[in-house]
Amino acid sequence: MSIEFLDPTHEAVAAEFTAPRRLATLAGATVGIVSNGKYGTKPFFDAFERELVERHGVAKVVRRTKSNYSAPADAAIMAEAGAWDALIAGIGD
Amino acid sequence: MVLSSARYQVDDLQAAQEFFHSRKWTDGLPVVPPTPAAVEACLEWGMLPPDQLIGIEPVRGRAITAEKLAVNAVMAGCLPMHFPVVVTAMTAMLQDEFLLHGATASTGGCAVLLVVNGPIRRELGMDGTFNALAASDRATMTIGRAVRLALYNLLDVRPGEVDRSTLGHPGKVSYCIAEDEENTTWRPLAEERGVPEHASAVTVMAAGAPRQLMNEWTTRPEEILATFVAEMKANMRHYSIWAGNYAIVVPPQLRTHFEAAGWSKADVRRYVFEHARIRRRDWADCGKGSVVNDRGDKEYAALRSADDLLVIAAGGPAGGFGAVIPPWLGAKSSAVTMAIGACLDCGPQTA
Repeated sequence: MSIEFLDPTHEAVAAEFTAPRRLATLAGATVGIVSNGKYGTKPFFDAFERELVERHGVAKVVRRTKSNYSAPADAAIMAEAGAWDALIAGIGD
Repeated sequence: MVLSSARYQVDDLQAAQEFFHSRKWTDGLPVVPPTPAAVEACLEWGMLPPDQLIGIEPVRGRAITAEKLAVNAVMAGCLPMHFPVVVTAMTAMLQDEFLLHGATASTGGCAVLLVVNGPIRRELGMDGTFNALAASDRATMTIGRAVRLALYNLLDVRPGEVDRSTLGHPGKVSYCIAEDEENTTWRPLAEERGVPEHASAVTVMAAGAPRQLMNEWTTRPEEILATFVAEMKANMRHYSIWAGNYAIVVPPQLRTHFEAAGWSKADVRRYVFEHARIRRRDWADCGKGSVVNDRGDKEYAALRSADDLLVIAAGGPAGGFGAVIPPWLGAKSSAVTMAIGACLDCGPQTA
């Protein structure tokens, strides 16, 4: 005898979105780095910031840290991010 | 009743098991196939229409409906009469202060601890005595597992997907305790946390694994609690120093001494709040000297206030054991207590 049963998953259809166009160049750009704030992120992003500026000509790097590394970025950070050309979200332990 | 979930048909029970395992719809254990009739029975018992919104996970914005929760409850082995506890637990977990996404995605690997209070424990045959923390009875085992399977299937909290736990712990299979309200003079946990007397309720907490302790060599409450406090301080040194909700589980043999001395749960909470403290320099002798920096004298409390401590009466009649259940990570997630079956939009009865 066969068994009929129901799908246990959310079956939600992901909302459609369009990915932003890639930057042609980082030269002259303003790039935000949003860290999750864990201990290991600082030296990594220090070095990363230097690479962005010295090797890729980034004009300005904005460093921000989430107030809770297990929660989404604070609303104020996301509002500020609208003025950046690119955002790098970084996590680290 | 119109159910909207996709339907599948297989030849037999074995095929159903392989169907679920192959799609990562289960935790590695067999499941009860969620037939439409079984799911309808859960919804009818809970008096919930299939599309009733249980809540929306705040970070990912994903809606959880009664039907989908019932499907997972049936899979976990729940009977219809268990379903209201599952609904309340999930509703509590979806409150902002619980931070469900962070707690279930974290490398820290906590599980969701459920503590059930009130008359529903007896109606469901929940047992807060022997083996209280693990598979003590059918209801606690299946309800705890239902929550885990719902996280799997409704929020993608599978290992390596949303669940990024480095280690996790066995409580992730099922972590549900019924408080032993019958064998104590202490007030039930839910009542201590604001639920009316005699109401049934669930408390959810993002929790680490239980750390078992033993002290059978004193009758003094202060000395018994010194052992609990030492275990909490060990957790602060070895795992996380940050203050948040801790739970302690106190079995009858130890409760006897508190009750004889006239100590209430509130007295216990106050004592633990005052004594569960370490200094940052205590990290130095357990390999964490590099992060003491120049703040060695700074004192850290395990609890933000005495109310952070959840005191739970549970355990078998013999044995001077106890357990400290630490928080996932400080106060990132707060424990939530919610009454079962409370009708939020019902007016007062006039007839």
